[in-house]
Amino acid sequence: MTVMGLVVIAGVLAAVISCAAFLVWFERRLLAFFQERYGPNRVGPFGVFQVVADIIKLFFKEDWVPPFSDRAVFVIAPVFVVASVLMSFAVISFAPGICAADLDVGLLFFLAMSSLGVYSIVLGGWASNNKYSLLGALRGAAQMITYEVFMGISLMGVVIMADSFNLKKIVEAQEHLWFCVPQFLGFAIFFIAGVAEARRIPFDLPEAESELVAGYHSEFSSMKFGMFFLGEYLGVTLISSLIVVFFFGGWLGPAFLPPIAWFLIKTFFFIIVFILMRGSLPRPRYDQLMGYGWKVLLPLALLNLFVTGAVVLVWQN
Amino acid sequence: MSDYNLSLFYLLIYSTTVVILVAGMIILSYLLGGRHREPATGEPYESGILSTGSARLRFSAQFYVIAMFFVIFDLETVFLVSWAISVRETGWGGFAVILVFLAFLLSVLVYEWRIGAFDYAVSGREILKSIRKAKGI
Amino acid sequence: MTAAVEHTTVANELFARFGEPPFTLQSTADEIPTLWVGKEKAVEVLHYLKTGVAKPYRMLYDLTAVDERSRQRREGQPDSDFTLVYHLLSFDRNEDIRIKVPLKGDRPSAPTLTGVWESANWYEREVFDMFGVAFDGHPHLQRILMPRSWKGHPLRKEHPARATEMGIFELPEEKQNEEQALLQFNPEEYGMARQSDQTDFMFLNLGPQHPGTHGIIRIILQLHGEEIVDAVLDIGYHHRGAEKMAERQSWHTFIPYTDRVDYLGGVMNNLAYLLTVEKLAGIRVPERAQVIRVMLCEFFRLANHLLWLGTFGQDLGQMSPVFYTFIDRERVFDIVSAICGDRMHPNWFRIGGVAQDLPNGWDGLVREFVDSFPKRLNEYDSLVMKNRIIKARCIGIGCYTREEAVEWGVTGPGLRACGMEWDFRKKRPYSGYDRFDFDIPVGRNGDCYDRSVVRVEEMRQSVRIIKQCLDNMPPGDYKSDHPLATPPRKEKTMQDIETLITHFLSVTWGPVIPHGECFHGIEAVRGSNGYYLISDNDVSAYRARIRTPSFPHAQMIPYISRGHSVADLLAIIASVDYVLADIDR
Repeated sequence: MTVMGLVVIAGVLAAVISCAAFLVWFERRLLAFFQERYGPNRVGPFGVFQVVADIIKLFFKEDWVPPFSDRAVFVIAPVFVVASVLMSFAVISFAPGICAADLDVGLLFFLAMSSLGVYSIVLGGWASNNKYSLLGALRGAAQMITYEVFMGISLMGVVIMADSFNLKKIVEAQEHLWFCVPQFLGFAIFFIAGVAEARRIPFDLPEAESELVAGYHSEFSSMKFGMFFLGEYLGVTLISSLIVVFFFGGWLGPAFLPPIAWFLIKTFFFIIVFILMRGSLPRPRYDQLMGYGWKVLLPLALLNLFVTGAVVLVWQN
Repeated sequence: MSDYNLSLFYLLIYSTTVVILVAGMIILSYLLGGRHREPATGEPYESGILSTGSARLRFSAQFYVIAMFFVIFDLETVFLVSWAISVRETGWGGFAVILVFLAFLLSVLVYEWRIGAFDYAVSGREILKSIRKAKGI
Repeated sequence: MTAAVEHTTVANELFARFGEPPFTLQSTADEIPTLWVGKEKAVEVLHYLKTGVAKPYRMLYDLTAVDERSRQRREGQPDSDFTLVYHLLSFDRNEDIRIKVPLKGDRPSAPTLTGVWESANWYEREVFDMFGVAFDGHPHLQRILMPRSWKGHPLRKEHPARATEMGIFELPEEKQNEEQALLQFNPEEYGMARQSDQTDFMFLNLGPQHPGTHGIIRIILQLHGEEIVDAVLDIGYHHRGAEKMAERQSWHTFIPYTDRVDYLGGVMNNLAYLLTVEKLAGIRVPERAQVIRVMLCEFFRLANHLLWLGTFGQDLGQMSPVFYTFIDRERVFDIVSAICGDRMHPNWFRIGGVAQDLPNGWDGLVREFVDSFPKRLNEYDSLVMKNRIIKARCIGIGCYTREEAVEWGVTGPGLRACGMEWDFRKKRPYSGYDRFDFDIPVGRNGDCYDRSVVRVEEMRQSVRIIKQCLDNMPPGDYKSDHPLATPPRKEKTMQDIETLITHFLSVTWGPVIPHGECFHGIEAVRGSNGYYLISDNDVSAYRARIRTPSFPHAQMIPYISRGHSVADLLAIIASVDYVLADIDR
């Protein structure tokens, strides 16, 4: 039992990290495909080893801690970004029996971890003592705490329907009907909030290359920069997996494929949607993003919660 | 060990592994990376120009307002969460209570909306409208 | 309507108001009414021209100076060491006027015009920087193009023109530190507060090394949160002294330098320069050469606007359009290089025509392009301009009215975006543009969105023009056989010694353009580009003034970005569409 558990833990970590690394290549190739160009195609077959080369390069880059920065915080910030996302994967049920830590409060655990992610942005931006980083960090903090609120509320509909915070039970509750149908609104809000949490285009305001150079991580180099980079792709993987768990029946699917395969297929579908969005959408302005959240998403999320509660109660009676 | 404790134990192992992994990456890159020192190495990046004033400054209150909203709404989410898990147990009574609670929340939202707390900048369309008005078009 | 009649009209209006004595009339090759007036009266006269006369001269189109001290041929002109040249434009008359102010002495001064025109500010700073002419009452008379540590004033005749005349350039660490310190922004110098009672203002250097500024320009922002309280533009990082180079290159060998003034405009720059030279020399360009020139210019308009469309999306965070538009830009360059042999800077127009005739099969290439491109353009239009986020980011942002645009010297798409139907190709047709059928797209609000829509529509019109060139390419010579055309015709050189000698001189020294003054402006890719050339009967220009559209456009950026956010600033920069080399020259 314990040995099996350790194997799962090792397996989950290895799989998640290599998936994020793979994504770096996959996204570049896919974007290149959308944009009528080649993308990385030199290192290894179809350029797959580009990532390996990049990682080696990052490790050998100067690991610079700026003398004007808040040194301790500057080092901790990138650790936070990767650790908080990786921790969230602990509670995800990839398939029956494949879950690192099957917590009963899994959903809350994920929300807590994603709140921690905000810190990495704020701390990183503040510790850099750089004006661009500061602006990026402020944007990041405002954006992420705002969308945090909707993200939490949008999932409450799922909780009501599954009557559990446990991710495994949530998947099992979707045996007959995936939650994306009754909880479509919840799904839409969660998806949007997820993009904002992962700081992906169109919500990459904290980085906003054309405006803030690299935003909160302008001063980071070497693997510390690599951590923010990895954190972004881990975030994409995480949000995609959670969408699948909460709204698309997790590992459930016709029996001709093993459960884990279904999980991966569905997750990859959403990852591709993320990449497609990056390839097509421009970036809204900070105030538009915030206004949209508070004025549209929050009322909708509350409405969704209220309607779901009422329907469940009517159904029960 | 009970199932519950077991999963907590796994979580502990998992988090330890994560911390070791991440710390390992940072330490490895610290050991492997090169070192150099040049005249401008110790300056923050600001498009290649010496900074005027530091990045440590008193900032626009607008950002603190957002933090306040977050505190208001995220804390109230806590109540919503506890209701969500117990909808079936609390029944219509609970529903009514949460409805009142939601009404409070919404009134706060409407109030903030009305006082313009969510309008961080004037939208371009508003600017156009006011210009047209001024020109009498 | 002949030029002479108009000439007397405006001159008479001035005589009626100020009396005849203060003025001296000068005739120029471009037939722009040119009047000399003393510096005491100058501002009054200019102010009267702007506001007092019927059909006023609303735009300060250009302001520059000439170092007259070593000029030989200036018969009938008042005595002057440095002459200020004010070039005004009246949209109501479709006429220009040139007011010249003679200044005496080695360090002359003149009253400032900044109280009359907003746009005079940078122009006067440039004259100060280049000639050392001081402007009394100017709010911020500082160097603008040269570094603050620079010694001397480059466009004065005594200033060396070549690096070899200036000694070896060295940059030891102390000097580098000094220069760095000089670049540091000092808010007090501009009368800016460092803090208000509630917050500290952040002073942010956006550029010179920044991915969003489209080149090396520095925008210093005074920020309150993300809101721009004020902005200062620091230009000159791209200054190469093109005007100075014109004074040592022959008329012919200066052509490649013009390519690089607006480096995205390619041969369009050649055209502005050559039309002026040809007018000065009295060369008539054959019809075929004119149409070839028009076709190439429109191709470069397309190439520029395609690049603009892509980077416009990029600045607003949209990643893909730039790749799509670059593919089409490459196709434009394929055609350009098939015809000219080079891509961005073909240096292909010559005095009196173009370098070569069109290659065999050019029509096939062009036809394939004009057939396939409009469809792709529609796709980009819906990808970028019809996107809702782009609309939300651009509509109502960076507005200026028609009056403001004219006040600040805005031309081109930026002027048309506020509803002013003004295109030099239509209003003052050159190179045979009057024979083409095309529309002038106009906007309404003068905001970022309208400026962009106008550009997209201009691409459609360019395709229309190219199609007409393709269908109606006239036969005939690709170059004039005027003796001053370059390179000179070779056919008869081997038959008599006279022609051989002329040819030899024309090739080695270059042609001697008859003395005189001339200006010609064209509708370049981002506004009106014009060359004001003075020949002193020599093999190179005595003075070459390059009036570029980006200079006044950039000057306006702080004015239209106040109150907006950093993100809006990027939208504004993208929609104003300046090119650094075009600002700094």
